[in-house]
Formats: sequence, C-alpha cells, structure tokens
Amino acid sequence: MAQADVQVVQMWTLLSGGDGARMRALIDGFNAAQNEVRVESTTLRWGEPFYTKLITASVAGAGPDLATIHLSRLPNLAGGGVLRPVTAAELEAAGLRGADFLPRQWARSQYEGRAYAVPLDMHPLVLYYNKDLAGQAGLLDAGGRLKPIVGMDALTNAFRAVKERTGKDGMTMEAAQSTYAIWRLWLSLLAQQGHPVVEGGRFAYGAAGERTLAAIASWFRAGYARAGQDYPASTSQFMAGNAGFMINGVWEVPELVRGTRAGTIRFKYGIAPLPQLYGNASTWADSHGFAIPASEGRPMRPEKLRAVLKFVAYVSQHSFGWAEGGHIPAYRPVAESAAVRALMPNAEYAAAAANVVYDPPGWYMGAAGPLEAIASKFLPAPLAGQLTPADALRRFESEAQRLLKKRPPRY
Amino acid sequence: MKRKRRTEALSAALLLAPFMAAYALFFLLPAVQTLYLSLTESSLTRTSAFVGLANYDTLIHDPSFWSSLGNTFHFSLLTVIPLTALGLVMALLVDHFTGGGKRAGSWLQGAFFLPYVLPISVMTLIADWMLQPSSGIVNRLLGIQRAWFSDLDWAMPVVAIATIWWTVGFNMLMFLAGLRNIPREQYEAAALDGARGFAVFRHITWPALLPVTITALVLQLIASLKVFGQTYIMTTGGPFNTTRVTLHYMYETAFTQSDAGYAAAVAMAFMAVVVALGLLQAVLLRKRK
Repeated sequence: MAQADVQVVQMWTLLSGGDGARMRALIDGFNAAQNEVRVESTTLRWGEPFYTKLITASVAGAGPDLATIHLSRLPNLAGGGVLRPVTAAELEAAGLRGADFLPRQWARSQYEGRAYAVPLDMHPLVLYYNKDLAGQAGLLDAGGRLKPIVGMDALTNAFRAVKERTGKDGMTMEAAQSTYAIWRLWLSLLAQQGHPVVEGGRFAYGAAGERTLAAIASWFRAGYARAGQDYPASTSQFMAGNAGFMINGVWEVPELVRGTRAGTIRFKYGIAPLPQLYGNASTWADSHGFAIPASEGRPMRPEKLRAVLKFVAYVSQHSFGWAEGGHIPAYRPVAESAAVRALMPNAEYAAAAANVVYDPPGWYMGAAGPLEAIASKFLPAPLAGQLTPADALRRFESEAQRLLKKRPPRY
Repeated sequence: MKRKRRTEALSAALLLAPFMAAYALFFLLPAVQTLYLSLTESSLTRTSAFVGLANYDTLIHDPSFWSSLGNTFHFSLLTVIPLTALGLVMALLVDHFTGGGKRAGSWLQGAFFLPYVLPISVMTLIADWMLQPSSGIVNRLLGIQRAWFSDLDWAMPVVAIATIWWTVGFNMLMFLAGLRNIPREQYEAAALDGARGFAVFRHITWPALLPVTITALVLQLIASLKVFGQTYIMTTGGPFNTTRVTLHYMYETAFTQSDAGYAAAVAMAFMAVVVALGLLQAVLLRKRK
C-alpha cells in the first residue's frame, strides 16, 4: 500500500506512569500489526488541564481524532457537545457490539440514548496490605490472606493493631490538600450507607457525611496514618514497607508487580476489595474509555472514522495487556477469559467489580471535575485537624452551591 | 510653515499607528469583550444569554470572591513594603561596593538579580525542594518537619518570602539607576559641609530617590495584586483556599467550572479594585512629596 494511503490517527491521552507505558505498548503493537493506520499519541497532563484542553480544542475544531476520557466525565463532555456519538452501525463495521462490553461500563458510555465512548476498563479503590506487617498484627488467616474485615471498628482496629504491634503506620493514603483520594473513599462509604452525595440538584448525604468524614479523620488523628502526605509520598511509604495498609486505586498494581520482580519491594503483599464498613460493600470506581471529539466544523471523514475504530477494536481485543496494569477490562471476551480470571494479583480483588459505584451523573461530576476539585480542597482538612468535619463540609457546600444551581454548560 | 506642521502631524500619526493598533487589538478590544462577556451567561467558548448585571449580583454575595480578595490583600501586605525596602537596601549595598577600584559591587548586583531571570516554574521548584517536609533543607536546618505549604499560618508567608527572593532584583535595579542619577557634586558639597554617614543618606540620597520609591511602590502593589503563578503552583490555593488569590479564583471559575461569564465579572471587578488602589496610592504618595 502506498504511503499516502496511510491514515494517521492523532490521539490524546491523560495516561501516565504504568498506564502510559501500557498504552504505548498497545499502540506500538497496533502500528506494527498492520500498515493502513498509524496511531500517534500525545500524553497531556492528567486532570483539569487535560479536559480544558480537550473541550476548547474540540469546540475550536482542532481536537484530536481520538481521546481517552474518564466515563465519569461523560455527562459533562457529551452533554456539552464536546464528543461525537458513535452509531451501532459504525461500531459493527469495526467488529464491535455494545453487548461485547460489561453492561455497567457500556451503560456509562451512553448519554441520552447514544453511545459517546467505547469503554476500556474499570478501576475501583482497593485495600492493599503488607503481609509481613499484617501477619505480625495477627490479621492474616492460615493461608496468609487477610481475614475478613467487616465494619468501621474492625478496620480501625486492624490499623491500630499494625501500629501497636509493628511500630509502623497502620495505613497510608493520599491525604494532602487538593487530593482526590479522600473524596473517593468518602463517596464509597456514603454509598455503603445508601446515601448519594447529590440528588435532585441538592446535597443529599445528610448527617452521614459528617459521621463518615469524622471516621476517616479519626485514623489520622489517632496517628495510625499520616495527614498531609501527597500521592508519591503515600505510595512510597507503602512500597518501602512502612505501612500495613494502603487505600488506593488498582493502578498501583503494576508498580508492586515491577518492584517485586526487581527486588525493590521486600515484603509480600496482598490486595482485597475495599471492606464493607457499613450496610453494603459499595466501592468507588471510574473507567477509562475512548471517545471521538466532535471537532465542530470539521466532521470526521468516513475513512478516518474507520481507522479510529479499527484501533479501538484492536485495543479492546488486546486489553489483556491493559489488565496487567491492574485494571478490570471492559471488553467481555477478554474480561471473562480464563487468562484474565487467573491473572494475579488482579484475581484477588476481582470481586470488587460487583460492588462498584461511579460518581453520580451530573455535569459537575467526574474525574477532576468541578465538584471533585472543590471537594479536594476541603475534605482533607479534618484529617490534619485544620477544620472540624462539620466545618469542612459546610465550606464545601457553600462553595459548591453555585455549581449545583448552574445550568449544564454547552461548550 | 503650515505645511511643515501638517507633515509633522502626519509622521507622528504614522509613527504612533503601530503602537495604537497593537494597543487597540491586544488591550482595548479584549477589555471591551471581557466587559460584554461579564454581562452574559457563557461557557468556555460559547455565549448563551445576555443576563445583565446578574453575574455582578452573584459576585457581591459570593463569599469565595471576597475571601480570594482578602487573600490577595494579605499577599500584597506581606510583599509590597519588604520588596521595596529590600530593593533599596540592596541597591545601596551594590553602590557602596562599586567604583574606586572595588569590584564586589557588580558581583553582588549579579547575585541579587539572578533569581529574577528564573522562570516561575523553576523558582517554585527550587522553593518546593527547599521546603519539603522531610527532606527539605529548611526543615533540616531548623530540625523540624513542617509541611510549609499546607500549614495554615505559614502557607501565605512562605509564598511571599519566595516571591520576594525571586523578584527583589528588579527593584534593586530601579533604585540603582536612581542612585546613579544623583549628581556626584551634591555628595561632594555635602562632604565639604562636613555631612557624613546617615545624614548624607537622609538629606541627599533619600530625597533624590523619593520619585523612584513611589514608582517602585505603585508598580509593586500592582504586581502583587496580580499574583497567580506562585500560589497556583506552590499551594494550589490551599490549605482550603486560604491562599487562593483573586486571579486564581477567576481561573477556577473560567476553566474548571467553565463559567466564563462569571469569571469575566470577577475580572472586571478586580480590575476596578487594582486601578482604584493604584490611583489612590499614587495620589497619596505624591501629596506627601
């Protein structure tokens, strides 16, 4: 085939670290596997800058051909006119059907009855544990696995046991100002009590919000965990063997696998779903997905669309490589394959998938979205004792009130 | 004669035209557009409805706006006078060690000015390294483990100190230029009259530098009110918004919340505050002269 016939697909991603390396491997694999389409990807800074750039570029008609997004941002992006819907016929031409994807992720890719993304994965919060420290604290069963932990007191006691028996911190998690982890945990635990954060344009968590935040803060106030640690500090505390537990997303799995292989991690670790601390075992999760920017005034040519979807289909079919990054694949033939079911350590927390909750729908919701950005400023403050839980939530609501009242923006 | 004047006017107009065009294109036009934007409900790129003064009405009742304005003043309070005074002291030092075979002056001048040439990202990176809770040199020297940027009492002062270190070089240069404009004869005359030390500074140097001082204070106040990058990078406005300045709030409403109309209202209100303060300060300081 002549060089001129090669379709070049420009993709923007926000995937960095292990995720970035894995996506790069998938792109290289795709580019090497055929010679009709070449994918060129650009990695942009995670979070708000990525979405701002995607929104403005798409509206200005200068967006990329393909972008990775969080499905939690779909109501915002699809509703705002940033994304181009993909029809069933277009997907089918690439060999993909809605039924090929796990129902929950597929449903999260829809907006007002149309598909605006092709789901790639799901990444819930999980509970990492250091088997050496947890063993010393008497928290493991005969098989070396974490004994079931049910209820807030049980988890707090586990953290205390590690602290008292080993001298190391009971747990670690990202807890500095402007970090999202506390929001995700808080959201999970509210869902475990059956309380949505927002419902009908109002804050709906009630007294449970303060109680739950106070319970999280108590781990830090009692000295079982360190307040004020940013993301790298919190993960390296766990990787260095200086904390019994870590609450984090599954995306740290590759670092643990790599560290164990390289000998830099000198302890045995295990991973469990986030425990049931209240009425049920709900766990926050988000998903990555592929979406096509609308790029207003510059509609995508059919041959470009075919090229884009060909790549998306390839990644879906090869998402075993993505599962190795800790994520739970969304493409059923891979997700339900024996290879993925046997993949370690993923198999240890696969049960979490049954209990995941996403951010509730709303234009202001989602990864690095407006509401999360505000929450990230106030929710960590009680952990360091800078605000009472009640005060933190009052300030959070007072600042977020304007968002809830605002009409969804049309970009 | 008349014809000559006409050619003069023509060439003046021709020479001014490029500047006027650029000024209109890059300042006046955007300013008018921002004013219009502030009267609409707009997302990042699309204007959806004319809403009159609704955004300003929201603004007046918005505690987040007022707290951000308070934080801006807090930062200005911590920087304007120290930056001006320190600039003067540094200029005097450089001047003292210059001339008459002394070469330390130019070395000092370079050392004082060097931080100013750093891009903000580099400056904040250095400050961040020095102030790391467990590994930073500041905590090591003090023998403590303070997380400076998330400390309620210290976050803003630390940003202010870093800013002073970063930008004081420019004020020093202004004062140095002022110092070098003072005729040497005045000092010689004073020396003949037997004036020395502080008396020379008080009666000759200081009065001669007053116009420079006023300029420095006004420029510094405007610069400090416009602070954004330092707090955005170093503290991200935290802990819980206690270092979020007005421009940062404007950025958040425009980009994180896609509320360009409201952000424009914040911008207009803030511009009014800056202009008013700048004028007030200039008038007050001139009167005293």
